[in-house]
Amino acid sequence: MKKITYSVLAVLGIWISMAGCQTKDVTPDSLRNDLLKKTTGPAVVGDRIEFAYALGTTEGDLQNVKAEATIAGAKGTGFSGYSWYTNRNTGVDQPVQTATDTVTNGTVSSAKIIDVATNKAVTLRYYYYPGEEAKGKDVSFRFSGTSSNGKEVSYQSPTYRISRMDMKRSLTLVDGAKAYVSVADMAVYTKAEVEQNNLANKIDFVYIYRATLGTGNYGFGHAIVAPSNADYLKDVTLPTGLAKTRTAIDKRVDVKDAQLRGTTGFDVYIDDLDLQQTTFPNAADYAYGFAADQGAFVKTADGAYAAYVYVNSVNNGSKSMTISIKRLKLN
Amino acid sequence: MKPTFVYKFFGILALVGLLSCGKEPIDESGLLITGRNQCFMTFFDLLGSDHRTVLVSGQTVIDTTALTVTAVARFGTNMQRVKPYCSVVTDAIVEPTMGIWTDYTQPQKYTVVSGNRQVRKTYTVTVTLQK
Repeated sequence: MKKITYSVLAVLGIWISMAGCQTKDVTPDSLRNDLLKKTTGPAVVGDRIEFAYALGTTEGDLQNVKAEATIAGAKGTGFSGYSWYTNRNTGVDQPVQTATDTVTNGTVSSAKIIDVATNKAVTLRYYYYPGEEAKGKDVSFRFSGTSSNGKEVSYQSPTYRISRMDMKRSLTLVDGAKAYVSVADMAVYTKAEVEQNNLANKIDFVYIYRATLGTGNYGFGHAIVAPSNADYLKDVTLPTGLAKTRTAIDKRVDVKDAQLRGTTGFDVYIDDLDLQQTTFPNAADYAYGFAADQGAFVKTADGAYAAYVYVNSVNNGSKSMTISIKRLKLN
Repeated sequence: MKPTFVYKFFGILALVGLLSCGKEPIDESGLLITGRNQCFMTFFDLLGSDHRTVLVSGQTVIDTTALTVTAVARFGTNMQRVKPYCSVVTDAIVEPTMGIWTDYTQPQKYTVVSGNRQVRKTYTVTVTLQK
């Protein structure tokens, strides 16, 4: 009897352990979604964050998509009506309209998927433009989609910190004309504008172009010069009352910020920490010999702002230079 | 073969092995102190804030007898913020460390120390600015 009991227990034990290891058949969800954040750089006011929200169903049709941000975005925030595919003959990405009624109301953006009979899986772009009120705050997004058989699926994004930096692209400086730059205003002025609007205390540097300079006629080129530098501004008639502030200027030739450059293919970004931690011991009050893709870290004389001035292009003929600026308020 | 001979042989072998594991001499920076007594500088460069050389090509002279380096910096260089670099003979070191932002409005002194740390030669580096 004892032997039989042990045998039964042994068989039972083996059966239980084997049964416990069996994988259960799980029916896959008929409606699924996924999210990809395409933007790699810092989220700066004036630039957008781009997401690709994918939705697919095996039952019924796709109906609507929705994105809810924790902070309402600025103008331009919302779904794009287009998905993209790569043309195999040309290798170029081409748009296909897959959604309509793309609406943003406060924090909520929505879109209606069209051609539901064929669009069983779509990837829609969602653009979020951070507004001024989002500066320095965290923002996250809840994406969701519905299908015709009443199912809903959602995806909660991680949290993203919106930069405290300000950004201004494509300011054109012209020697002897639009040459006076205010970092506080992120703007360029002429001598007359500085005098008329009483901006003499706000000018941080002056743009000049001199092909050569010095007794030896050495190459000089495109330069930004703080009002404190009398040497390089001696032939410039400065606006009346211009404060002779010594802006700290530190030239760089290898910081090709992708956002200031405004083109894809570059993955170098200046973020808040770079401007916060950049130190300026013994920095000059000028930088010269600028070419496109170069730039300079700048700290205003009052210590209120640190900025990166990026040179988009230079033109020796018209004695002009186009710059873009990222700026952080330090105190 | 007698067992005593075998013991002695392996004993000596172990001793040699132990001695060969002894540490090489190193200085306070963890650099190897070697037997070389040569002591001179072979190359000097100065970088601006953009990490590009500011020196005029072909104007740098290193005098290993007078222990001087003279160079010319390009017009417009901010001499208060430049970063020096140099090359020295094998195993030698330089004091103080180069590669940090330095004010070169006045001549700077650097001492080259030989690989055996016995020979020290102090160079005076003078950089003039194009005006």
